[in-house]
Amino acid sequence: MPTLPVNIGSYLVNLCSALLLLTCFAIVAQRRLMACVDLFALQSGFLAVTATLVAYLTGIHHIYLAAILTIAIKAIILPRILKKIVRQLNVQREVSMYVNIPTGLLICGGLVILAFFITQPIVHLGFLLTQDSLAIALAIVLIGFFIMVSRQKAVTQVIGFLVMENGLFLAATAAAYGMPLMVELGIFFDVLVAGLIVGIYTHQIQETFGSVDTSRMKALKE
Amino acid sequence: MPDENHVTLMVLAAPVVAATLSLFIKNIRTLHGLNVMTMVILVVADLVLWATVVREESFTALGNVVFIDSLSIFILSIVVGVGFSCSIYLWSYFDDEAIQQLVQPHRLWTFFPLYHVFLFAMIVATLANSLGVQWVAVEATTLATVFLITFFKSRESLEAGWKYLILCSVGIALALFGTVLTYYSSIRVLGEENAALNLTSLLPVAAQMDGHVLKLAFIFILVGYGTKIGLVPMHTWLPEAYSEAPAPVTAMLAGVLETVAVYVVLRSKSIVDQAVSPGFTGNLLILIGLVSFGTAALFILIQRDYKRLFAYSSIEHMGLAMLGFGIGGPLGTFGGLWHLLNHALAKSLGFFAVGNIFRRYRTRQIHEVQGMAKVQPITAIAFLAGGLALVGMPPFSLFNSELLVITSLAQMTFQFDSFHLGRFLTITVSHEIRSLGIIMIIVLFAVALFGGFIYRLTGMVWGTPPAGVRQGEAWHIGQLPLALSVLALVWMGFSLPTQVEALLQRATDVVIGR
Repeated sequence: MPTLPVNIGSYLVNLCSALLLLTCFAIVAQRRLMACVDLFALQSGFLAVTATLVAYLTGIHHIYLAAILTIAIKAIILPRILKKIVRQLNVQREVSMYVNIPTGLLICGGLVILAFFITQPIVHLGFLLTQDSLAIALAIVLIGFFIMVSRQKAVTQVIGFLVMENGLFLAATAAAYGMPLMVELGIFFDVLVAGLIVGIYTHQIQETFGSVDTSRMKALKE
Repeated sequence: MPDENHVTLMVLAAPVVAATLSLFIKNIRTLHGLNVMTMVILVVADLVLWATVVREESFTALGNVVFIDSLSIFILSIVVGVGFSCSIYLWSYFDDEAIQQLVQPHRLWTFFPLYHVFLFAMIVATLANSLGVQWVAVEATTLATVFLITFFKSRESLEAGWKYLILCSVGIALALFGTVLTYYSSIRVLGEENAALNLTSLLPVAAQMDGHVLKLAFIFILVGYGTKIGLVPMHTWLPEAYSEAPAPVTAMLAGVLETVAVYVVLRSKSIVDQAVSPGFTGNLLILIGLVSFGTAALFILIQRDYKRLFAYSSIEHMGLAMLGFGIGGPLGTFGGLWHLLNHALAKSLGFFAVGNIFRRYRTRQIHEVQGMAKVQPITAIAFLAGGLALVGMPPFSLFNSELLVITSLAQMTFQFDSFHLGRFLTITVSHEIRSLGIIMIIVLFAVALFGGFIYRLTGMVWGTPPAGVRQGEAWHIGQLPLALSVLALVWMGFSLPTQVEALLQRATDVVIGR
């Protein structure tokens, strides 16, 4: 059972959530695809640590299971699949982006403020332990969304989606100490399948277009 | 009477068994046979469950995992009904493609397992008690359909599939945030328990839940599932995916998947409406419905591709249904639900016909298709009927449901309230907007739409057929779904069968929470 006082526990949870947010910014600022994948794996690691902390401090056991699955699927399996894709496709860097890096970072800063602003009226309903994590979680979701729309490479778009998923998982852990077990398992399953599908798909795109640059997809315009 | 637990289990197990078997069967005829047989089982099971709902109002099965009431049975009937006609159509469609050697037989070995998984996911989304499981199932439909959309593996279809995968995954992720927020407010009331996302536990206590959280949750849910429904401005994947996918898949996407996504939104609406004034969800739905309707009507005017024409018509009809649900009340909701059914029938009819046309003419350009009346007389009649139904002409039942929605709009008195998003962003809509103004706009768009649609359809049906296109069309089993859909639309246009009307009535009560 928990031996830490609640306020120290709360600090630790906040610290971990903040580290998650920090890795988001690092992904936004990173052009090298391999490094993006590594950063995503690191972020998933921080997420698992946050979940373990919450599980330890609250004594709710099924969050441990979620933490283990996070490590297994998001920190090990999916990064491996993504790295394999990057190696096969032989693209190392994102050369052109729709938004350049400094502007992107500024926009993400704005998104964090927006997230705190939106969640402000509802955080007081939350648990003391994880009160501030909900805003951070929404910020991560929004930044993931931004990564998806601002990058052109299929792999980085997928990383954006997975970052969004991490944000959602943090939200579920922070706001409600995790979703019901059945739902949680379903979500992990969906994420894993999505990763596999993307693996097959990028391969097909590469074969057909000779590039994974989605900006080359121009045939279907109004 | 059979036990409802067993029947429910059968509904869930049939597609799973079919998907597993399809992985191992290599004979094409057996694959088609298995598909049709699965659909027959589903239709029968659906009717048994329908009878149970008529008797018991609502029930849970398989230990609270499944919750079935009139609304879910109504949606399930659309799923299995359209699924059944699609399975018959699939048979003739792929036989034809195989004869023309455009589809290698072994490609069907990957088609059918995915198709059954897609069906299974939609059935789970319809029957699940938990909002979380509904989310998982809707996401699974996206994953299952990606490779169905890219089945022909052309450049364009890969592009459309990628756009579909990315946009729908993002949308669905936002919907998950909405679901998390719903859970956040429900455990305040219910405590931390596994059932706190179940409809059976949420509905009785919804009134005690925190209104602000639920408002925020509903916005995320509407945007998220709205992407799947294809509401403007989240619709950009839809015309591409619909025009690149094989016709039977498009029929399922347009007829069934959209309906299921609407169902999930309606479930959230009925919860949120209890905690906040119904004006909140209603106004959001009216706004997004009107925008979708108007935008789609304008885009229909400039289409040169007949598959895209029908795709935009889907956006337009979903907008209209959303308008009905937004207006709410017994009339608007009834109209909206009935419109879902009519649209599912008419749109699957439309895409079946479109599939026939494409297989003969091998082009999707409207101006290159002429003289259908001579080339494919049976398809031409079905195509014309589908087109007339989709622009809301009598005697087809879409006319009736559209009229219901517009009538409910006329009866509505606007009580807009303002809502706060954060501290200083407040959105208020004036009381002065009168419903008549909106009706004027809708009718104007409807006229534009009518013109755009009919002008193109008649151009395709009459005229001289281009050289090199084989003329004449024999009756075969693949025409049966077309005939049945036309028949059903006309029948409901004249008189709605009493059982269907009763089910619709009770489903309406479920949505408005009576």
